[in-house]
Amino acid sequence: MMRTLALVLALAVAVSAAPAAAQTDTLEKIKSSGVLVIGTRTGSPPFAYVNKNNEWVGFSIDLVEQLVKPSVEKAIGRSIKVEKKESTPPTRIPLLTSNAVDLIAGTMTDTPERRQSVDFSYTFFYTGAQFLVKKGSPIHGVNDIAGKRIASQQGSTNAKILREKYPQAQLREFPDQPAAFQALLQGQVDAYTNDGIQLAGLKVKAPHPDEWEVVGDFYSEEPYGMAMRKGDAKFKAAVDAGLKQGWESGKYFEIYDHWFGPKGELPYPMSPQVKAYLLKQIGK
Amino acid sequence: MNYTFKWSVLWTGQSGHWLLQGLATTLELSALAWLLAVALGILSGALRTAPVAPLRWAAVSYVEFFRNVPLLVWMFFWYFGVPPLLPRVAQDWVFNHSAEFWAGTVALGVYHGARMSEVIRSGIQSIPRTQFEASLATGLTTLQAYRLVILPVALRLIVPPGTNESLNLLKNSSVALTISVAELTFQTRQIETYTAKAIEALTAGTLIYLVLCLSIATIMARVERHYAIPGLISRTTPAG
Repeated sequence: MMRTLALVLALAVAVSAAPAAAQTDTLEKIKSSGVLVIGTRTGSPPFAYVNKNNEWVGFSIDLVEQLVKPSVEKAIGRSIKVEKKESTPPTRIPLLTSNAVDLIAGTMTDTPERRQSVDFSYTFFYTGAQFLVKKGSPIHGVNDIAGKRIASQQGSTNAKILREKYPQAQLREFPDQPAAFQALLQGQVDAYTNDGIQLAGLKVKAPHPDEWEVVGDFYSEEPYGMAMRKGDAKFKAAVDAGLKQGWESGKYFEIYDHWFGPKGELPYPMSPQVKAYLLKQIGK
Repeated sequence: MNYTFKWSVLWTGQSGHWLLQGLATTLELSALAWLLAVALGILSGALRTAPVAPLRWAAVSYVEFFRNVPLLVWMFFWYFGVPPLLPRVAQDWVFNHSAEFWAGTVALGVYHGARMSEVIRSGIQSIPRTQFEASLATGLTTLQAYRLVILPVALRLIVPPGTNESLNLLKNSSVALTISVAELTFQTRQIETYTAKAIEALTAGTLIYLVLCLSIATIMARVERHYAIPGLISRTTPAG
């Protein structure tokens, strides 16, 4: 028995000590396969979700299809297909580093910790954490949550902030949005915290949208970026060029309008500050 | 693979504390669920061999219903499905008193009880029928025959498959993270969130599960040798 254990441990050490293999050139990979594989979400409307007609759509997916894909095609000189895979907060970085996907395009916040493991594109959306509660709830913001049961999504930046700064709240972390929302619907928790825009999206999709409200000031900053393998400058340049092109041509704002405009899936007008923030990235 | 290993994330910051907390929760959850599973397993395993038909049917229904639905579904059932049946005040009370932990324990215990039941039934049925008849002939009642003769022998026979099932239970306790129980796998994901170092965190989790399971297997091998009935189960495997 002890000998077996020693053998297994030795094996584990050997595997982990193996030198990191040569870095992947994502553009080369896409050029030879003809496929850009993105990791995205199935339950985060309107960024990436499966709609009533069972189509996998969303704002983040459109940005890839209409801005990033043409830019990558231009960089490698051939037409490509976009393939979507489900990725959740705990799986998305491993999916990237294992080459299972090439780009994460969903609702991933660009943070300094994550930047040590992956590279981020330009920020393509800007939001902050709030709370979704039943109308009439005593929770109006982050200062009212002491002793309350708060659901969050495991692996999200807001769960981390609550854990560190508001330990009096009873945090319940769920692996995905539908489970956390179900817990709120049934009263297992008093509030569900996530990025404001996602809560607004959930509210619209709820069985009785009028019964719910999104409350509180942003208690965190959540700039969304597309993540890719670290140190792949050529691929990052292609992705960024696509987004930049979108801002310059106005295509980005058309896509924004399609999802967040007055007739969009989720009306959410872009504030002048956010617009200035996005355009400042490309020096405008 | 373009990945820089940084093992120090496992012992810097709060990681060590989280892993210990997760380990404690996993052990607590598994131990309670195991007790429930063994109790239900012995009861329904014995009932499946009982000489009264309705009791056999009840046990068969329990086993087939619970083992043929995925554990994940049972987790959701006990967490999302059962509490709404309680009155509102009771609901608030359970939600404030780790409803997710108890839902996880019951889900795991009842599910593995159904699987354990089959293990125990196979043990009982491997005992020659004449033993049961002989016990009755000595004047024991059916209940006494089970309690004093059949079960003590059957439980000795099923130590290897029982160990197997117990190890499965321990590993399956990780499914409880879907209903927000902060067990070991949950905590390894937590470390990943904070450090973005998934491979290190998962390796730590894997090694902890491995050591736990190997320890249980070792202990159970000793139990098996210690309680072996000479002549009936004589050829135990040598210590390895």
